Amino acid sequence: PFGFLRNLIGGKKITKEDVKKVKSALSTHLIKKNVAPDVANSLISEIEKELVGSTTANFTSVQETAKKSLEKQLIKLLTPNNSIDLLKEIQTKKANKQMPYVISVVGVNGVGKSTNLSKLAYWLLQNNYRVLITACDTFRSGAVEQLRTHVNNLTKLSQDKQQIELFEGGYGGADLVAKIATGAIKYAKQNNFDIVLLDTAGRRHNDTQLMAPLASFAKAANPDKIIMVGEALVGTDSVLQAQNFNKAFGANRHLDFFIVSKCDTVGDLIGSMVNLVYATGIPILFVGNGQTYTDLRTLSVDWAVSMLMS
Amino acid sequence: MVLADLGKRINNAVSEVTKASVVDQSAVDGLLKEISNALIEADVNVKLVLNLRKKLKATIEAEEKPGINKKKLIQKAVFDELCDLVDCKETELYKPKKKKTNVIMFVGLQGAGKTTTCTKLAVYYQRRGFKVGMVCADTFRAGAFDQLKQNATKAKIPYYGSYTEADPVKVAADGVDKFKKEKFEIIIVDTSGRHRQETELFAEMIQIGEAVQPNQTIMVLDASIGQSAESQSRAFKDSSNFGAIILTKMDGHAKGGGAISAVAATQTPIAFIGTGEHINDLESFTPRQFVSKLLGIGDIQGLMEH
Ligand SMILES: Nc1nc2c(ncn2[C@@H]2O[C@H](COP(=O)(O)OP(=O)(O)OP(=O)(O)O)[C@@H](O)[C@H]2O)c(=O)[nH]1
Ligand SMILES: Nc1nc2c(ncn2[C@@H]2O[C@H](COP(=O)(O)OP(=O)(O)OP(=O)(O)O)[C@@H](O)[C@H]2O)c(=O)[nH]1
Ligand SMILES: [Mg+2]
Ligand SMILES: [Mg+2]
Repeated sequence: PFGFLRNLIGGKKITKEDVKKVKSALSTHLIKKNVAPDVANSLISEIEKELVGSTTANFTSVQETAKKSLEKQLIKLLTPNNSIDLLKEIQTKKANKQMPYVISVVGVNGVGKSTNLSKLAYWLLQNNYRVLITACDTFRSGAVEQLRTHVNNLTKLSQDKQQIELFEGGYGGADLVAKIATGAIKYAKQNNFDIVLLDTAGRRHNDTQLMAPLASFAKAANPDKIIMVGEALVGTDSVLQAQNFNKAFGANRHLDFFIVSKCDTVGDLIGSMVNLVYATGIPILFVGNGQTYTDLRTLSVDWAVSMLMS
Repeated sequence: MVLADLGKRINNAVSEVTKASVVDQSAVDGLLKEISNALIEADVNVKLVLNLRKKLKATIEAEEKPGINKKKLIQKAVFDELCDLVDCKETELYKPKKKKTNVIMFVGLQGAGKTTTCTKLAVYYQRRGFKVGMVCADTFRAGAFDQLKQNATKAKIPYYGSYTEADPVKVAADGVDKFKKEKFEIIIVDTSGRHRQETELFAEMIQIGEAVQPNQTIMVLDASIGQSAESQSRAFKDSSNFGAIILTKMDGHAKGGGAISAVAATQTPIAFIGTGEHINDLESFTPRQFVSKLLGIGDIQGLMEH
C-alpha cells in the first residue's frame, strides 16, 4: 500500500525535496482516509522531524521510517492517557452510596445519539445495573417514542422486567429540558435506579443559540459523564464539531468521551475518529458499528491504525 | 451561507492571480494549489480535485495570448470547472404532473435527514397545489412512524403507516395503493436508513422500489459527509437509480464538498437543499447560481460573454 513512496525516493541521499514529496504523499493518503487536511498535515510535520534527523541512505529505509513514524503517531494519538474503566467508576460511586450515576449524550443532528444511548443501556443492563432512560430531546418529532420503543425492547431482553424504565416529560422548550433532567435524577434516587441516561436533542455546533442551553443543562443535571457522539461519515467538519461541543459546557466542564458511531458505514475511511481526538484530546469510549444493541465496541487501536495505514 | 468561505478563498486566489501584471507559470501553479487545497478542505473527493486541477491547468495553458484575456480565461475556467462539479447537464429533473399519480421514494444513509425532508417536500408541493400524501415504509427504526406522523400532522399532510406490520415492502405497497385510489397526485415514500455494506437492506430497498414503482427516487445526503460520499452514493445509484439528490443540513458549518462529490460520482443533479430542522427549511437548487454566489460573481452573463 505504501508503494507510492517507492516512486518518490529513488536516490541515495534524502534531499529536502524528497522529504517534501513523502510528506505530500502521506498527507494525501491520510486525507483519502477522511482525516482532515489540517490534522493530516500536523501529524506529518511530526514525521518530518524524524525523517530529516535520520541518516538513512536507501529508499526502503526511508519508506519504513516514514511509515513507522506515522504509525507511532497514530497509536499515541488514539491510545487514551488514562485507562478507561467506566464500570469501575460506576461501582465506586455505588459503593459510596452516591447513586445515580448520570451520563448524557450530545452531538449534532442524526449522528446516532439516541441509538447509541440505547446500546449503552443494554451494556449497563448486562452488567446488572438498573437504568433510567430519560427523554431530554423535547424537540425532534418522535424522539420520545423512539426511546420508548427502545425501552420496551430492552425490557423484553432483560430478565428483571423492572430493570429499565423511561422517564419523559413530552415535548417543549429548553426550560422543560432541565426540568426533565433534574426530575429524572430525583426519580432515580427515590426508586433505586443506578444509572440515569440523558438523551439530548441534536444541534448544530455552529449555532450559538442552540449550543448555549447545553451549559445550563450541564449545570442543572451535573452529569458524571458527558459523551459526544461523533459520526464516522462526517468529513472535515468533525474537527470543529468536537471543539465546539467540548467548549459548550463552560470553563470548568468539558467532554469526557466520544462514541464514534456508524463505523460500519465507512470501510477503512475511519479518519473522522482521528479528527475528533486530535481536535480535543478527548478519548474514545466506544465505537458504534451497527444498528443493534450489541453493536458497540471498545476501540481496538491496533485495528484502527492498521485501517488507517492500509 | 454554506461554502461562503470556500468561495471567498477561491475568489481571492483568482483575483490575486489576475491582479498580477504578468500571469506566469508559477502564479498559475500557486492558484491551482490554493484552489485544490480549498476544495479538499471542503471535503471534495481527493481524486476529483486532482482531476479538476489537471483540467484547469490544461485549459489555462492552452491559451497562448498573454495579458487581460488570460485573466478572464482563468476566471471563466474556474467557474466552468466548479459548475461541472455540481451541474449535470443532460439529466433533467423530474417534474411531477398534476392530475396524475407521482410516486417519490426517498433513500439514503442512516440519519441523513430523509424523514424530515419528506415532510418538507410534501409541504413544498402542497403549496403548489398538489394533493400530497406520505407513506412511512420505515418499519425498522425505533419511533420512525411516530416521527413521520407528528411531522405530517404539524404540516397537515395525510399520511399512512403501520405500528404492527413489520414488512416495509407491504406497508409501502399498501400506502401507495390507498393514496392512488384516493387520487392523490404526489405520494412520498419514506424508507429506512441503510448503507452499502448492508446487503440485505439494499435488497429490501430494491423490493420497495419494485412494489411502489417510483416516478422519482431521491437520495438524501448530509452536507457534512466526507470522503465516503463517493462509494456510498455510487452504491445507492447502482441499486436504486435515484434521479435527484437533496443535500440536507446546509445550515451547518460543513461546506458540502463531500456531497457535491456524490453529484459528480453519480451524474445526478441536486434538486433541493435543506437548511434547517423546520418544515419550511427547503430551497430549490440551481447549480450555476450556486457557483456564482460561491465565487461572488454577480453578473455571470457578463463573464460568459467575454
Ligand atoms: N449503521 C449504523 N447506523 C447507526 C449507528 N448508530 C446509529 N445509527 C442509525 O443512525 C440513525 C440516526 O440515529 P439516532 O440515534 O436517531 O440519531 P440521533 O443523533 O439521536 O438523531 P437526532 O436526535 O435526530 O439528532 C438511525 O437510523 C440509527 O439506526 C451505527 O453505529 N451504525
Ligand atoms: N440543522 C438541520 N437539521 C436537519 C436538517 N434535515 C434534517 N435534520 C435533522 O437531522 C436529524 C435526522 O433527521 P431524520 O429526518 O430523522 O433522518 P433520517 O434520514 O430519516 O434518519 P433514519 O431514518 O434514522 O435513517 C434530525 O434531528 C433532523 O431534525 C437540516 O436541513 N438542517
Ligand atoms: Mg436522538
Ligand atoms: Mg427516517
